Amino acid sequence: MKRRNFMKSTFFGFSLLPARILRKSMLNGPQKENLSSDAPRRRIRDLGVKIGSLEPGPYNAITDVEGVRVGQTTIIKGRGKGAVRTGVTVIMPHRGNIYEENLFASYFNLAGWGEMTGIIDVENMGKLKTPIFLTGTYNVGIVYDAAIEYLSKINPTMGVADEMVNPVVAECFDDFLSDTRSRQISKDDVLKAIESATSGPVAEGTVGGGTGMTSFGFKGGIGTSSRKVRGKYTVGVLVMDNKGSRNQLRIDGVPVGKEIKGFEYKLGKTKSIILIAATDAPLLPFQLKKLAKRVAVGLAQTGAISHTGSGDIILAFSTANKIPKNKSSSFQNIKSINDFWITPFYQAIVEATQEAIINAVTSARTTVGRDNNTAYGIPLDQVKQIMKKYLRIGEKNHE
Amino acid sequence: MNRKEKIRGEMKFKKGKFPRGEKNSITDIKGVKVGHLTINKNIQGTPGKTGIIRTGLTAIHPYPMAKEMRLFAGSFVLRGKNEITGYEVIDDFCYLNSPLVITNSFNVGKVYNAILSYGFSLNRVEIWPPFIIAVNDSYLNDMRKSLLDEKEILNAFHDASSGKVEEGSVGIGLGLRAFGWKGGIGTSSRILCLGPQRFRCGVLVASNYGNQKSLEKQETESNSTRNGDGSLIIIVGVDIPLAPYQIKLITSSLVSSLSPVNILNNCMDPITCVMFSTANPMSMENEGPSIFEFELTDDSLLAEIISAGTEAIKEAIFNSLLKATPVEGRLGRKIETMPDNEFKKLLKEFGEVS
Repeated sequence: MKRRNFMKSTFFGFSLLPARILRKSMLNGPQKENLSSDAPRRRIRDLGVKIGSLEPGPYNAITDVEGVRVGQTTIIKGRGKGAVRTGVTVIMPHRGNIYEENLFASYFNLAGWGEMTGIIDVENMGKLKTPIFLTGTYNVGIVYDAAIEYLSKINPTMGVADEMVNPVVAECFDDFLSDTRSRQISKDDVLKAIESATSGPVAEGTVGGGTGMTSFGFKGGIGTSSRKVRGKYTVGVLVMDNKGSRNQLRIDGVPVGKEIKGFEYKLGKTKSIILIAATDAPLLPFQLKKLAKRVAVGLAQTGAISHTGSGDIILAFSTANKIPKNKSSSFQNIKSINDFWITPFYQAIVEATQEAIINAVTSARTTVGRDNNTAYGIPLDQVKQIMKKYLRIGEKNHE
Repeated sequence: MNRKEKIRGEMKFKKGKFPRGEKNSITDIKGVKVGHLTINKNIQGTPGKTGIIRTGLTAIHPYPMAKEMRLFAGSFVLRGKNEITGYEVIDDFCYLNSPLVITNSFNVGKVYNAILSYGFSLNRVEIWPPFIIAVNDSYLNDMRKSLLDEKEILNAFHDASSGKVEEGSVGIGLGLRAFGWKGGIGTSSRILCLGPQRFRCGVLVASNYGNQKSLEKQETESNSTRNGDGSLIIIVGVDIPLAPYQIKLITSSLVSSLSPVNILNNCMDPITCVMFSTANPMSMENEGPSIFEFELTDDSLLAEIISAGTEAIKEAIFNSLLKATPVEGRLGRKIETMPDNEFKKLLKEFGEVS
């Protein structure tokens, strides 16, 4: 495939992008508004809004689930016509080699106009065998290729003498901000994302696979959150958010989207959201399926309706039971949570999903992309005012 | 006539209920085209690391790809663990709007990218999602080195034809094996009368499943047991006006009607059945109308379609075995065509002889 290079350099992480370039390109944009939407970005909890009643983990991120690491590559090239705003986000499910030690997993296809490869295996064999990749729709082929290359490099017998696996690559359509057809992502970009995977805080908003995404009529992208459950367990969610229209947006039940003034722009129509849930509690695939369905409940609480052009696909995995590929014995002891004990996990996943989606919106900054299409970061000052008006900030016991 | 007819004559082969189509191929369905890309070469590498490439792809165009169109489709996967891209859309939206490609697991990304390029070159607004089914041909093929070139893939798409489909060790069939013998591509078709009208049911299979043990042949060292890396891929095309729920019902019925395959399988190899109907195309030019009008076949006729489909699938599987030529692959492995006596055993297992 021929690649056009608009700008030689690729920026990893939006913060490295010189502010001047951004400001300048915004002034060239079709709308010259007060860009208070470009004020420093915050997570929703940092604005004083506490969604739900359970406490988040230390990083309030999917990485609070022990062993889960996240790596991202952000690709920003060119301006105006042919501008590229894309990238890839990778979730490494545990510290070891996921091909050698599989995890229980399940998936739920809430709205099917989307792609998550590798899902037949997950669905039928109940296990996750590869890292999870999130990217733009037309990048899927290249990312898939890179994933295979990575997996075969660290597993020399894969597909030769040993089992072949199908990488999990999921997508949202980032065509509003990015010239997606040119598919300007390389294998190296994907491998860099894998290398950079770390535990700890996760960059959110306009980063990785979320670079070109829009959400609820504002800039969207990557968002994450977590909850502690029953003292010793954690559930975490990471989303790549590219869905919804402005009127739908609800934060903690408040119709924020309807109340916000200004920052209008015309959006492309095809939108999706990919949601990845992780827990360190011992859930079996059928329980993870039920957990995945509750992720959809959390999604609905943000006002999303999963419209027809949406691919809302959910994958849930548990790090508690590791299933080695090459077993010393034909039998293995595993753990499973008692179903009567599982409800708090549902509470936690619904809260974390909501917060992850809202984090994706509040963390994402104004982005000018292809053909000067502009997606504004949600104006946080207004969000704060509205949340105050509806008594979500400053109230001591909103629980 | 050919080997199959000879064996049929010798064995009092049960006569099928349905007549065959003109080409006895999936291309008997109007508009359907099939293209093969066969890669048969040895790459010279570092000493002792020669890449023996025995792979390719088989592409089925369910309708002329330049049209902005969707066809109703459905799939059923039995104990699947192979890749199917576009699965969410076929599951939830029940349509197909890209070529259907069978290739090996290492080439899925390449083919995905090539289908997008193909769609862009045809000025299609929407050829996404690419529909790719992966098989594992690593027994004969050096899968890691068998990476296809986008140009070759696009040529195969362009060269797809509606003529009689080549069978056996061709396309992705080159590196496949079934029951320890040479497997590959097979196709067949049936004509069935529903009410006053004549319809066609066409099948294409890629047989890559079942181990030798299942046919009571001696296990050899090189044919160690398989743990589900094989697969049987069945593509069914009909020109019968079916709604998605009927397609889903038929695909699951077809797979379960292959119980002999399952019994013979004796391992974890998945069976994937994908079916589409060309009878109710949805034109998406300018986004299409707000309401589509469809014809619907009465549910009472579905049994007939399932019988015809089963006949065609069985014959396609037999064709894939009989037409396959011997192939020598990596590590000096050689797979022979299934000999007559083995094939007779298989026919017995399938209940095809009285």
